[in-house]
Amino acid sequence: MNRQELKTIIQAEKNREFSQTGKQKICVCCGAGCLSSGAEEVMKKLQEEIKARGIEHEVEVIPTGCMGPCNQGPLLKCLPGYNMYQKVDCSNIEKIVQSQLVEKKPLEDLLLFADLREKPFLDAREDPYFKKQLKIALKDCGTLNPERIEDYLAHDGYVALDKALFELSPEEVIAEVKHSRIRGRGGAGYPTGLKWESVYKYVNDQKYVICNGDEGDPGAFMDRSVLEGNPHRVLEGMCIAGYAIGASKGFAYIRGEYPLAIKRFEQAIKQAKKMGLLGSHILGSSFSFDIEVRIGAGAFVCGEETALIASIEGKRGTPKPRPPFPAESGLWGKPTLINNVETFAAIAPIIRNGGEWYSEIGTPKSAGTKVFALAGKINNAGLIEVPMGTTLREIVFDIGGGIQHGEEFKAAQTGGPSGGCIPAAHLDVKMDYESLVSLGSIMGSGGLIIMDKSSDMVDVARFFMEFCMDESCGKCVPCRVGTRMLHDLLQKICDNKATRIDLDRLEELAVYVKEASLCGLGGSAPNPLLSTLRHFREEYESRMLTHDLSE
Amino acid sequence: MNTIPITIDDKKIEADPGKSILEVCRENDIEILTMCHLKGILDIGACRLCLVEIEGMNKLLSACTTKVAANMIIRTNTDRIRKYQRITTELFFAERNHVCAVCVANGQCELQDLGYKVGLDHIRYPHLFPQCEVDTSHPWYVLDHNRCIMCSRCVRVCNEVEGAHNWDIKNRGHQVRIISDFDTPWGESVTCTSCGKCLHACPTGAIWPKAIVQGQLQKNPGMICELMEKRKMRL
Amino acid sequence: MKSDTAVPGKELPKTDPRVKLIAAKLKKENYQPDALIEILHTAQNAYGHLPKEVLTYITKALRLPPSRVYSTVTFYHFFSLKSKGEHTCLVCTGTACYVKGAQQILQAIEKETGIAPGKVSADNKLGVQVARCIGACGLAPAVVIDEEVQAKASPEEIIQKLNAKIGKI
Repeated sequence: MNRQELKTIIQAEKNREFSQTGKQKICVCCGAGCLSSGAEEVMKKLQEEIKARGIEHEVEVIPTGCMGPCNQGPLLKCLPGYNMYQKVDCSNIEKIVQSQLVEKKPLEDLLLFADLREKPFLDAREDPYFKKQLKIALKDCGTLNPERIEDYLAHDGYVALDKALFELSPEEVIAEVKHSRIRGRGGAGYPTGLKWESVYKYVNDQKYVICNGDEGDPGAFMDRSVLEGNPHRVLEGMCIAGYAIGASKGFAYIRGEYPLAIKRFEQAIKQAKKMGLLGSHILGSSFSFDIEVRIGAGAFVCGEETALIASIEGKRGTPKPRPPFPAESGLWGKPTLINNVETFAAIAPIIRNGGEWYSEIGTPKSAGTKVFALAGKINNAGLIEVPMGTTLREIVFDIGGGIQHGEEFKAAQTGGPSGGCIPAAHLDVKMDYESLVSLGSIMGSGGLIIMDKSSDMVDVARFFMEFCMDESCGKCVPCRVGTRMLHDLLQKICDNKATRIDLDRLEELAVYVKEASLCGLGGSAPNPLLSTLRHFREEYESRMLTHDLSE
Repeated sequence: MNTIPITIDDKKIEADPGKSILEVCRENDIEILTMCHLKGILDIGACRLCLVEIEGMNKLLSACTTKVAANMIIRTNTDRIRKYQRITTELFFAERNHVCAVCVANGQCELQDLGYKVGLDHIRYPHLFPQCEVDTSHPWYVLDHNRCIMCSRCVRVCNEVEGAHNWDIKNRGHQVRIISDFDTPWGESVTCTSCGKCLHACPTGAIWPKAIVQGQLQKNPGMICELMEKRKMRL
Repeated sequence: MKSDTAVPGKELPKTDPRVKLIAAKLKKENYQPDALIEILHTAQNAYGHLPKEVLTYITKALRLPPSRVYSTVTFYHFFSLKSKGEHTCLVCTGTACYVKGAQQILQAIEKETGIAPGKVSADNKLGVQVARCIGACGLAPAVVIDEEVQAKASPEEIIQKLNAKIGKI
């Protein structure tokens, strides 16, 4: 396919949209959450019901990716009015079809958040849950059918790739990404543009692009939702990256625990290849790029760049000391660019709308939006995307709908086992890279777990340390033995058997593990412990034995 | 060859580019403690004893895997580094079951030497005392997991020098163990050539020949380096 | 290395459809040692775990040292050397599930069936595993019984479902 043919297809697909045909659209959320609560049956029943009424030519039913409020699933979204229905099951479908589709009257008592608000919003976009959000990475997730490339094309899909290939030089693409000021969404927040530039600068006949989809943080499911809900967006981002740095081959490393994400991404690759959007001479240009999926085999440490590379090479996922960085010597010793799923998902809009547009969103140091997986003791658990700099309070109360059962907010845990806990005193913290670090936590990949008073913070620290201890690769001493020692000390405190001397040792050892470990896993493993010590020290102190005889 | 100026512990040094910080330090009689390093095989930066501070870097870097660069200012002997060397040593001793008094390597052991060097007189962390096996199935050699510190020198020597790849590591985290073949007893290995290089590479008394009594072990880790130098000369 | 054909272990029946699957994957990956993990995935999916004969077969086909294969297998949680049981009950212990009581579910299962996390019942009927996070945090606590996700699970519900699976009702 060449450029002209692509434009014709995009136009044809746009014509099929509601505004042109007057056809109603019902999106059925088939994200992991809604699927587990019975979305598949709902969709079947819905189709039967529509057929029974003979309106199948007026209504289109589309299975989509995650819409966000997973806790309220299964969800339906009716376009063009954006009427959303929550907790739909087979028993109330008949009613919804009759009222919404035949009589064109939304059913208020079944609408999204009908049980939480005095009066639910007919247009869900008006609800504070969506109003406070800004969806860029997740924009079309929940509206398009992830299994049809045509749906993606109708939503300006591959327009950015077309623009990059024919209107911009690789240097200009990199300049645009640099200008957007986007930073790596995997956790560390390294400026993406600089990373691209450094790989671009190494001269080599073979370079690689790797998409890190080994989302191992317990409590995070952003990458999963993006890969399941809009795989082509990630694919397009990888292609653009390949063009910019001069790579002809990419790997998408996806967690083995996400079979649907793997299936969708493999399908997306096939579809893109068939349309000439992937493979040799993309859109008739001189650029060729191919992507292969690699399935992760269950190791948290493989989220670390050098360990991920070892894993793609078919080895134990043990990290290597850096330097040399993967940009210089990565996969099979070649210059390699590694970015997170969410980062790649933001590339196409940046190229399409320009870096300037993206850089104006968020805060001066952290541009753009961030996807968070909101979970724990919160009313509206699910997936959200907000501009950087949104306060924790807005996320917890305006979007999250507050704590379950009207309990008091105690802490929010960000960054999973590499992050820390933010106490109620800092509810007004702006969610950006620097502010979170200043509180002893990190942005991380975007897991955000809300806790109420039933959570014991020492036990939370122990929980994460146990995780790191089990996930340590065992290569370097501080991480292999240090995390075990820290875990045992935390267990001792939980069992009310520790003394003040133990607490001092715990602190000294935690700083040692943080500074002496080889890779980021060990380097950040003490974060949950250090941050709970900082903000909830009294919970540790209150458990100390008073007689100190152990030295 | 052109040299580059670097500073180590306030001493100005002209170093050969391409060399590691560790090599340059050793050439200039600056002591760096190591355990997983063995001259002749590839460095992996795992033991973290050779950590150094480099001005302008917020992270501590392992001297064995970091190459010198022009105008680098390196510190090898700060309070922090000495403290961390001590903790690492303590963790080595606490991890497995090291009893010098009954060890064949007593007096010949790099871990014991390290303990003396960092001035270890007691260990502040609880000993983990894991249940470890002793593999005596090989006709000539013994592998005692109790004394293993997971430096992986045997694994690398077997793979890189002998080319047999009998040894590798199983599991992960604190559960890691040295294995031969499919975790089969050493004596039943089909890949082991019984060359004995792992024995000389082992810094402790984890691998030793059967026919000796305590205190008589003669190890020669330098033979690995000599061998590799000789091979290079032949090429 | 000594001749790699000397690795002991039973020969696999070439007519076994599972062996054919692995053979096809090996061919597709061009017998590249780099593809070890991909091939292990295929084998694990076909057999449910990785029996020793299968590992031997793969080791020979890729011409890898046995210890290199074994070390890779034991590094990753996904691969298992032992059977995981006819029915599997996977309890997610990710952070969200932990906050919402995954531990109580595990304790209830152990109390009821006597199977500790990570273990399989003596008759191989049921295996109980824990996952670090299955990414269904919005539905915590989540349990997966034979591929089917049980959202917002309670200990009682899970016990009931398990008893139904192993025919104890």
